[in-house]
Amino acid sequence: MSAVVLDRVTFTYPERDRPVLSDVRLELPEGVFALVCGPTGAGKSTLLRLANGLVPHFSGGTFAGRVMAAGRDTRSCKPREMADVVAFVPQDPGSSFVLDRVEDEIAYGMENLGVQPRHMRRRVEEMLDLFGLASLRDRSVRAISGGERQRVAIAAALAPGARIVVLDEPTSQLDPQGAEDVLAALQRLVHDHGMTVVAAEHRLERIAGFADVAVLVEGGTARADEPRSILGRVDLGPPVARLGAALGWSPLPVTVREARRHAAARPPVAPPAIDRPSPGDVLMRAEGASYSYGGRVAIDRVDLEVRAGEAVALMGRNGAGKTTLLRLLGGMTTPTEGRVLSDGAAPRTGRDVALCPQEPESVLFRSSVREEIEATPGAQTDRVLDEFGLTDLSALHPRDLSAGQRLLVAAAAVAATGAPVLLLDEPTRGLDPEAKERLVASMRRRASAGGAVVFATHDVELVASAATRVVMLAAGQVVAEGSPEEVLGDSAVFAPQTTRVFGPGWLTPDQVIASVR
Amino acid sequence: MHPGAWLTWALCGGTAATLTTNPFYLLPLGASAWVVYAAHHRRDHPAGLSFRVFFLFALAALAVRTLLVLLGPVDAGTVLNSFLEGLRLAVMLVIFGAFNAVADPYGVLRLAPRRFYEAALAAALALSLAPRTIAAVTRVRDAQRARGIEVARYRMLPALAVPVLENGMEDALTLAESMDARGHGRGRRSRYRPLPWTRASVLCAVVSLVALTAFASAAVAGDPTLVPSMFPPSWPEARSPLLAAASLLALPALLRASS
Amino acid sequence: MRALRIPLLAAANLVGLAAFSWPFVAPALVSMGGRGDVLLVTIALFLCLGALLFVELGRGALGAKQVALLGVLGAAMVALRLPGFIAGFSAMFIVVLVAGNAFGPAFGFLLGATGTFASGLFVGGLGPWLPFQMVAVGWVGLGAGLLPGRGRRGRLAALALYGAVSGFLFGVVMNLWFWPFAAGSSALGWAADAGFTGNLKRYAAFYLATSFGWDAARAAGNVVLVLVLGHPLLASLDRAARRMQLDVTAPILEADEEPAGWPRPRSDGRGVEESPDSRGQDAGERPRRGDPWKVPQKADRLRLGGGKGETVG
Repeated sequence: MSAVVLDRVTFTYPERDRPVLSDVRLELPEGVFALVCGPTGAGKSTLLRLANGLVPHFSGGTFAGRVMAAGRDTRSCKPREMADVVAFVPQDPGSSFVLDRVEDEIAYGMENLGVQPRHMRRRVEEMLDLFGLASLRDRSVRAISGGERQRVAIAAALAPGARIVVLDEPTSQLDPQGAEDVLAALQRLVHDHGMTVVAAEHRLERIAGFADVAVLVEGGTARADEPRSILGRVDLGPPVARLGAALGWSPLPVTVREARRHAAARPPVAPPAIDRPSPGDVLMRAEGASYSYGGRVAIDRVDLEVRAGEAVALMGRNGAGKTTLLRLLGGMTTPTEGRVLSDGAAPRTGRDVALCPQEPESVLFRSSVREEIEATPGAQTDRVLDEFGLTDLSALHPRDLSAGQRLLVAAAAVAATGAPVLLLDEPTRGLDPEAKERLVASMRRRASAGGAVVFATHDVELVASAATRVVMLAAGQVVAEGSPEEVLGDSAVFAPQTTRVFGPGWLTPDQVIASVR
Repeated sequence: MHPGAWLTWALCGGTAATLTTNPFYLLPLGASAWVVYAAHHRRDHPAGLSFRVFFLFALAALAVRTLLVLLGPVDAGTVLNSFLEGLRLAVMLVIFGAFNAVADPYGVLRLAPRRFYEAALAAALALSLAPRTIAAVTRVRDAQRARGIEVARYRMLPALAVPVLENGMEDALTLAESMDARGHGRGRRSRYRPLPWTRASVLCAVVSLVALTAFASAAVAGDPTLVPSMFPPSWPEARSPLLAAASLLALPALLRASS
Repeated sequence: MRALRIPLLAAANLVGLAAFSWPFVAPALVSMGGRGDVLLVTIALFLCLGALLFVELGRGALGAKQVALLGVLGAAMVALRLPGFIAGFSAMFIVVLVAGNAFGPAFGFLLGATGTFASGLFVGGLGPWLPFQMVAVGWVGLGAGLLPGRGRRGRLAALALYGAVSGFLFGVVMNLWFWPFAAGSSALGWAADAGFTGNLKRYAAFYLATSFGWDAARAAGNVVLVLVLGHPLLASLDRAARRMQLDVTAPILEADEEPAGWPRPRSDGRGVEESPDSRGQDAGERPRRGDPWKVPQKADRLRLGGGKGETVG
C-alpha cells in the first residue's frame, strides 16, 4: 500500500502565472525514508505541503489532480482533517510551538482531535520515551536546545496518531550533534515502527545514508528513484557522490563507508600542497581577551590575529564561544580582561569591522535590495551589489528572496560599511549549494582585495573549500589552530568527507579530481 | 492550588474590601493578602515580584487619594474620610497583587470557558512568544549597530521595528501552518491533564465565599460599622464576625498547594 | 454573516460604554436605592458585556491564521509595554493602531483585548481594571480599523489624527470607571446627588486636573510613532496578509475525472482514538463562520469564496 500518492498534480500559487509543479506523478510506498532534494525554489516545500493539504487549502492557489495520503484525498480533507494521518514538521520548530511546556505541546494535537484524556496521557508518555524527551517534560519549549526542539516538534506532530512524517529541512538549523540525534530518531521510526518519513534537505552529506528513496524536484516536476541515481548529479549530491561521479565509481557511493571501498582499490598518492596566498598585514588582534558574564566564562584568554587576505573559520560545538568571540572582534562588547585591537585601538563597529548576525533577516528593513544596501551609512551601493552578485536582484523585496539570497543581501548590507574585516556568524545555515558557492566566491573576492573574513560555522565542507585558517574553540579557549588540512585532517568529528575517504591532506573533491587529471 | 481557587479568593477579598472603609476590617484584609503572598508566591517567576509593585502602587494611591481632598474645603472629617477611601483602594491593590504573585498565568488562561478557547489560546501564545520578541528586539538592535545604524535615533526606528515585525509575521505563518496541520479548529476538544480541584483548592474557594457572604450580608443589612461616619471624626467600631471573616481570607496561607 | 456580526459587536460595545459611564448612569438609579446598588449595577452591566463579548468572540472558531497573528502581535504588545511608559504614552499602542488599520475593526478589537490581557498576565497586572483596559484598548484597535483614507498619505494622515484623538479618549474612558473611587467625596469627585450635567462638569474638572497632561503625552507619542513607523509597518502587515492568504477562504480546485486504477479511499482513519467526524463534509464548501475580516464572494465555477478581502491592502 502506498503512503503518499500524487496523481497528475498541477499547482499554481495565487498571483503567479506559472505553476510551480505541473503534472507530477509520484508514489511513495509505506515504511520508507524518502529524501526530497532539488534546487531552491524548485518546489520542495510545495511538494511536502501537498501531502497533508496545506497546499492548496492553506496557501490558496489553483490545484488540479489529486493527492492521497494514507488513503485520504486532500481535495476533500483539509490539513486539520489529516492531522491523524500525516505529521507535518516545519523548518523552524521554534516558531511552530503553540504551548509552553514540552508535555502540553505534545498533547496539543490530540486535544484538537478530542482524544480521551486517559488515552492522551498514555500517548504522551509513549512519545516522550520514543524521542528520549522524558527528562524535559516540564521544561519550556523555548528553553531547550535546537535538536531537542526538533524532536519535540516531531513528537508533537506524530502524537495524534500519524504514521507519515513530513519534515521541511529537519537538520538545517542544527549543530552536528543535534542533527545526529534527530536523524537517528527518524531512522528508528522507519526501521522499528514501519512509519514513512518524507524529508526535504539541502545539505545532503549527513542525511544521504539514511534515505531509501530520493525524490528530485526540478523544473516544475518531480521523480522518485534510488538515492544513488539522483544524488550522483554533480551539483546536488554530497561530496562523496561528486567524487564518485568524477572518478567513475560504480555503483555510486552516497556514504563515506561506500566511498572508502572504492578508494581502497586505488594506490595512495601524496596529497598536493594547497597553494594559498601568504597573508598580509595584521588587521586586528585579540590579546589575552576574556569575556565572562553571570559568573560564566564564555571566552578565556584568547589570542588571535586576523591578517589581510585571510578567511578564518571559527569552529567548535554549540556554546564553545564562537558567537561571543565574534562579538568581541566586532566591537559589540568589550572584553572583561585583555583587549581587542584594530589599528592600535579598540575596533570601531561599522568602521574597522562589520558583523553579519546568525539571523540575517535581523538587518533587513527596506523594501528593495538596493535600498537595503543604501541604508548602510557610507555605502558604495553599486560596487557592493556587484561584489555579492546581487545586481540582478536589486529591485526585488529582500523578504521575497530565498534564504540564501537573503543572507547575501544581509552580508552585502553589512559589508557595505567598507570595513576591511567582515565577520559572519554561521553564514550557511539553511543555504543551498548554489547560494553557498556565491557566498564563498564573494568571501574570496573580499580577501583578495586586501580585506579579511572571519566566520563561525559547523559546516566542515564550507571550511574545507573556503577557509585559509581554522581556529577550533572549546569552552572559550583556542584548542587548535592552523590550516584546514592540519586542523580538520586529524579530527574525528570535524573531518570533511573527502578527508575521511582519502586520509589527511585531502580536503575537497575538486582537489582530488585535479590531482587525478 | 487550582487557579480558579485563587481567582475566587481574589474576587471575594477584593469585593469585600470595596464594601467597607472601616480600617479595622481593611487592615486584616490586607494582612491576610500579605500572608497568602508570603506563603505561596512563585519564586521562579518575575510575576512573583509584582506584589511589591502593587504594594508601592497601593501606597501611592493612598497618598494621592488623601492629597486630592486638599483641592476643596478642608476639615478633619473630609481628610480622614478620604484617607479611609484611599485605604480601601490600597487594600484592593494589595489583594490583587497577592493574586498575581501566587497564580500561574497559564493556569489562569486555562480557566477560560470552552467557547473562549481561541481567544485564550491567542493570549497564551502572546505570553509565551513575548520573551522571544524581546530577544528579537535586542538582536535586531545589535545587528543594525554592527552595520553602523544606531536605532536609538528616532528616524532610524524603522530599522528596529520592521525586522522585528517581519520576523514575527514569518513566525505567524509557520505557527498557523503547524496549528492547522495539528488539527486546530476540528471542533472537538478535550483537555490534557485537566487541573484538579484538590481538597485545598475547594477549601480555599469555600472560605473566600464565606468571608464575602459575611461582608455582603452585613452591607445588605445596613451594618453601620462598614462605613463609619467621620463627621465628626470618631474611633470606628468593629464587629467580631466581620473581623473573623476578614481573617478567614488568610487561611489559604496554611494550606499546602499540592494537597 | 458580516451583517450579523456588526450589530453584535456594536451591542457589545454599547454595553461596554454603559459599563464605563456608570457614574453618569448611576445617579438616577441611586435615587431609588443605596450605594451598594450602584456597585451591583456596575457588576451587572459588566456581566452583560462579558456575556455579549463572549458570544461575539466565541461565534464559530477563529482560524489558525487569525490565532497565530493575534498571538504574534499580542507578543509585540507585551514586549513594547514592558520598557515602561512616558506618562500615559506606551509604544504598545502603535501595534494596535497599525494592526487594526491593516486587518480591520474586528481584528483590531480582538488584538487590543487579548494583547492587553496577555500583558496583564505577563507583568502580573491582573485586577478589576483589566476588563476595562481590555475593552478600552480594544476600542482603539476597532476605531483604527474603521478609519477612512485612501492612498499612502491619506491613510497615514487619518491614522496619525486618530492616534492623537484616541490617545485622549483612551484616558477619558479609563479614568471614568474608577473616578468615584479615586476622587471620592472631594469637589472633583462623583456625587450621587449632582445629576448628570453636574457630574459631567465634576468629571471634566477631575480629568483636566489629573489626566490631561498624562494623556497628552500618549496622544503626542502616538502621532510621532505613526508618522515615523506607520508607513513601513503598514507595508509589512499588508505583505504578510497577502503571503498568509488571509483573504482566501478556499483554493480553486479544478475538477478532473477519476483516474483508472485509483486506490479506493479507506473508510477508517487511523487515529489514536476515533476516525474524524467531519471528513469530506465541509471541505471548502462554505467559508467558516467567525473569520472576522473575510468577505466571501460569490462562487464561480469551483471557485469557492476567496478574492480580495476588503480590509487588506
